[in-house]
Amino acid sequence: MREELVWTDEGAPEQPSVIRAVLEFIGAIGVLLVATLRNLLLGRFEGRECLHQMAFIGATSVPIVALTSSFAGAVITLYSTSLLLRVGGSGFVGGALSVAMTREIAPILTGIMVTARCGSAIAAQLGTMKITEQIDALRALGVSPIQYLVVPRLLASLVMFPLLGVVANFAGILGGLAVASALGVPASIYFRSIQLFTEPFDLIGGLIKTVVFAVIVMMVSCQQGLGARGGAVGVGHATTRAVVLSMVLIFVANYFLADALFAKR
Amino acid sequence: MTPAIELCQLVYRVNGRTILQGIDMQVQPGEIVAIMGPSGCGKTTLLKCIAGLLQPTAGEVRIEGINIVPLSEREKMPLRLRLGIVFQYAALFDYLTVFENVAFGLVRHRRLARAELERIVRERLAWVGLEGVEHLYPSQLSGGMRKRVGLARALALDPHIVLFDEPTSGLDPVNAYQIDMLIRRLNQELGLTAVIVSHDVVSVFRTADRVLMMSEGQILLEGTPETIQHADHPQVQAFLRMASANHL
Repeated sequence: MREELVWTDEGAPEQPSVIRAVLEFIGAIGVLLVATLRNLLLGRFEGRECLHQMAFIGATSVPIVALTSSFAGAVITLYSTSLLLRVGGSGFVGGALSVAMTREIAPILTGIMVTARCGSAIAAQLGTMKITEQIDALRALGVSPIQYLVVPRLLASLVMFPLLGVVANFAGILGGLAVASALGVPASIYFRSIQLFTEPFDLIGGLIKTVVFAVIVMMVSCQQGLGARGGAVGVGHATTRAVVLSMVLIFVANYFLADALFAKR
Repeated sequence: MTPAIELCQLVYRVNGRTILQGIDMQVQPGEIVAIMGPSGCGKTTLLKCIAGLLQPTAGEVRIEGINIVPLSEREKMPLRLRLGIVFQYAALFDYLTVFENVAFGLVRHRRLARAELERIVRERLAWVGLEGVEHLYPSQLSGGMRKRVGLARALALDPHIVLFDEPTSGLDPVNAYQIDMLIRRLNQELGLTAVIVSHDVVSVFRTADRVLMMSEGQILLEGTPETIQHADHPQVQAFLRMASANHL
């Protein structure tokens, strides 16, 4: 497997057809993923860089993930409570939210917020490094760009995405609690409902989704950055493509993961 | 004696365009060879093929006798440490300080105590005439200083060969002269082999032992600066006249 296929422009036509562009994208992601996993399994990566990325992808994303999840939980509770109270179903409010939150909302919001915040930054950084020859400089100094740039980002994401997923779940359920309490659902009933309707696998399944989303966001962002060409405009295009492709792939993968994990439960 | 660099029938094609058309070239150890020619003639592509940063379509690139063309990226890594590359715009890592840039290769390829690491970095920076800038970031340096830091970084791992991509482009005449003298001094004091890619005629003629004139992916003419200056070749003379006029 030629790792250098990830960052070289060899053979790439200037105006590829849509089919060729899709096949090239799949091929490039596949080559990058195999090379990254091989280096990861062989322990070839920089530990210090991994810690930096954990701080960037994980710790500094906590506020935005918590904020968006809490409001998502709040608005779902706002609609569901007004409906459920009409039919005397206050005992379902917490359960309905927690099932939606753990299975769908928390993983999806984690993926989207980290894509917007970190995926774009990673594509822009790697794209800028590519067009200013910093990637070539790394290789000239005998350092593999995959070991130095890609593996630490993937490893950091594999650790931090599930943790952010847990944060999103807590924040969403607390946001829901605030609205439910304001609409007259006692906290004890809200939490009792969560206990009754939520199974441990709802949380585990949701966190499995975040791991898949971590792989999607990091591979797409790194591939787009390393494949950037054409100056500042090229970096802009790479960044846009990284965000759009990551989000689309998150939604596509989410459907199939939901089918595989939860459809028969 | 094994040549430091040997190219045999080197061809590089991309997107159906042939950038290099069967280049043959040798560089002896301790020699300064300049590759000169108009923009877009394939000089930088040739340099990147020598460095193993681009994969040639056909031909051989021998670095100290080893053909690097069939090698994988991983196999090329140790060979690249024999080469230092100074990029056109220095390609310094902009999120690292000058110290961290120069130390980058040393930290990853040599097991050195912190004091030894600091000594080597300060020594390399002193070689290129930069002291007291270790804590600065590349964005805080002038163009000439950046190129010199790029050279210090390239020299950190004691390469046998240094490749220069347009070392004087974008520099004022004083800075350009200083870079040229630096290349000559490093060649004389350390015995470095140097390959310079440039279209700066004045700079090339005062630095190089031998000059190769390129045009449209081929080598037109080869010789000492004097023979090139007096060569009876219409394309070469036209290039030299235009380049000199631009320089004035």
